[in-house]
Amino acid sequence: MKTTTSTLVLFAAVFALVSCSSKTVEKPAMEGTLETVDMGHHPPTVKLADPEQNQGHIGRKPRRISVAQLRESILTTTGRQWSQINALAATLGQADYALTVSESTEVNLVFAKFLEDGAREVCLATASADLNKPAPDRVLFPDVTITNRDFTMMSDDAIKANLSYLAIRFWGQAFSDAERDSWAGTFKTVAARAKTINRPEQAWGAMCIAFMTDPRFATY
Amino acid sequence: MSNHSGKSSLQRRTFLKAASAFAGTSIFGGVSFKAFAQQAQALAPADHCFVFAYFSGGWDQLLNLDPRDPTEFTPERISETRILPGYSLLSQDPSYPTMPIRPQGSNIAFGPAVGRFANHFDVMSVVRGINMNTVAHEVGFRYFLTGKEPNGSAARASSTATEVVGQLYPRMANKPPVPNLAFNIESYNDRYGGYANALRVSSANDLLLTLAPGPTALDSEIEKQLLDMRGQPVSCEAQLYDSRGLVTQYQDARKQVRTVLDATLDRYFRFDSTTGDPMAVAMEKSATVARYGLRVGSNGLPNDPRSSSAARAALVATALKKGVSQCVSINMASGLDTHFGTQLTQANNQRQGWNALGDLISDFKESDHPSGGKWIDHVTILVFSEFSRTPLINAAGGRDHHITNSCAVVGKGVKHNHVFGASGNVGMSAGVVNYDTGLPDSKGLPYLPDHVVATIMASAGLDYSIMRVEPLKGLQG
Repeated sequence: MKTTTSTLVLFAAVFALVSCSSKTVEKPAMEGTLETVDMGHHPPTVKLADPEQNQGHIGRKPRRISVAQLRESILTTTGRQWSQINALAATLGQADYALTVSESTEVNLVFAKFLEDGAREVCLATASADLNKPAPDRVLFPDVTITNRDFTMMSDDAIKANLSYLAIRFWGQAFSDAERDSWAGTFKTVAARAKTINRPEQAWGAMCIAFMTDPRFATY
Repeated sequence: MSNHSGKSSLQRRTFLKAASAFAGTSIFGGVSFKAFAQQAQALAPADHCFVFAYFSGGWDQLLNLDPRDPTEFTPERISETRILPGYSLLSQDPSYPTMPIRPQGSNIAFGPAVGRFANHFDVMSVVRGINMNTVAHEVGFRYFLTGKEPNGSAARASSTATEVVGQLYPRMANKPPVPNLAFNIESYNDRYGGYANALRVSSANDLLLTLAPGPTALDSEIEKQLLDMRGQPVSCEAQLYDSRGLVTQYQDARKQVRTVLDATLDRYFRFDSTTGDPMAVAMEKSATVARYGLRVGSNGLPNDPRSSSAARAALVATALKKGVSQCVSINMASGLDTHFGTQLTQANNQRQGWNALGDLISDFKESDHPSGGKWIDHVTILVFSEFSRTPLINAAGGRDHHITNSCAVVGKGVKHNHVFGASGNVGMSAGVVNYDTGLPDSKGLPYLPDHVVATIMASAGLDYSIMRVEPLKGLQG
């Protein structure tokens, strides 16, 4: 009985060895990285850092946009420039290579304050101008049908569609459904208030300010 | 029994908490007491503040910190002493003494142009006989500003104010919104993060732009909606993106903006108007206007620092006392490069700056600091110029550039009523001293701006190793 059991164990071990060795052994991923999806025809991709093994980090450290990037971003997203950006460039961190030899991209009170000021100036001007433009020429709500400058008449779907469009325009990123729904709720309240005070430009203007002062606009 | 007592105590505490919350809400008009207290706490002044006061153009130290007795240094002895005080040339204005001033009890003699600054001998050290190693404006100025001799005329290190903020700011619990403020003066940062950069302003309006709400306002209800939206929880993706804290840093900065705007700090800097100010603020501003003798400047506004040295001093005091800044560098007086000017021009331009500084120190001596003691116990002031002027008067009636300099260090961290070093009695040559005593010593060593800056930093408990010199023990308080 004892001999039979030993023979069975030995047989099982040999079988297991043969079946393992017949398998293709996959090369393990580099430690601390995640495997990327092989797209075949694309050049080799860089493996993503595994956040669990990198103190919760993934990818490189985010950075604040420089003054030159801010200047271009404002112009690209709204089609107009903030009138004070050159006057405040040094304060926002732009190097003059005489007294300041390195660009500061520090996120501090002064940057946050002046970005807020700039966003207000540019967004409200853009929203005001959009009210008088035909739909395709508008920046902030190109596909919105406006009735008597009243944005409270917009359907939920139209609001969400325009918010999704603005998210891509300002951040280059899509909204998550939950966040978009939350912003849509805020927009409805803002639009109602804008109608009450007869300042229709503040409806999408305020949302533009929210997009432009969001970390996703100021960092990359 | 004990249970009963505990219950009673709890009820009493609960009642007091409720009462204080009610009182807070009533007194501060809708702002909860907690919010008010947090706001006040968030803008508490720094425990140790610094002022770097620059006299632009190269000052005549015979008129301020390194005077000579004109009865000893007479025109007849010029060939021997190479020094001419020239105080008699100020006699057109009888307000100028024709002899050095030594207030009662003072160990320090001052020149005739120091005005009210001399009254504060009891809280300062004067350093004489500093070797500047240069007679070029940019070089001397940047040397004193950084404590490191420039490369050519290019600054070779951070400004001392930047060094101070760079080292202290990360450790501060209550971070000032504009820790490093520079009025009409250069500032350098070669090794610290952007938090240490000076907010460089050329006028009060630049500062007001930071402290006041932007010119484009939204409806208050819409404003509230935006604020609420910003306070919403973020998604998992956003949390991952913020794993290194940049987004949090940005959001903190925005909260700080809100705190600054809610505190309406800008109104404290608008000395020209009290319209719309609460009674307490209006009274405080009126007291500031009276203390500093603010007058309407050339642009019609008394609060523009270009308009007068007094307005600049008032801005320094306000920025520090309101917790806006920890370090303020300021161009206190200008028009001192008097190669062709008269002694009186030099004295008049200097005296404006000295009087303003005197008023600033009076303010610091009389005002209580929130952490105890007077403000003068919590502030260090370095008063400097890029170099001095020649001890002899040139053919054009002015004085040229001279390599030996002096400076004053006031307040915390230095000895009081004290003179460190001396310039020579022949041609006011640079001194050599015993570093431990500050007394002239033929076997001693020369001392440079590096030593003065290292002493200030060491006295504040900061790392001064970048200076590559040891602090002057004979100057440290």
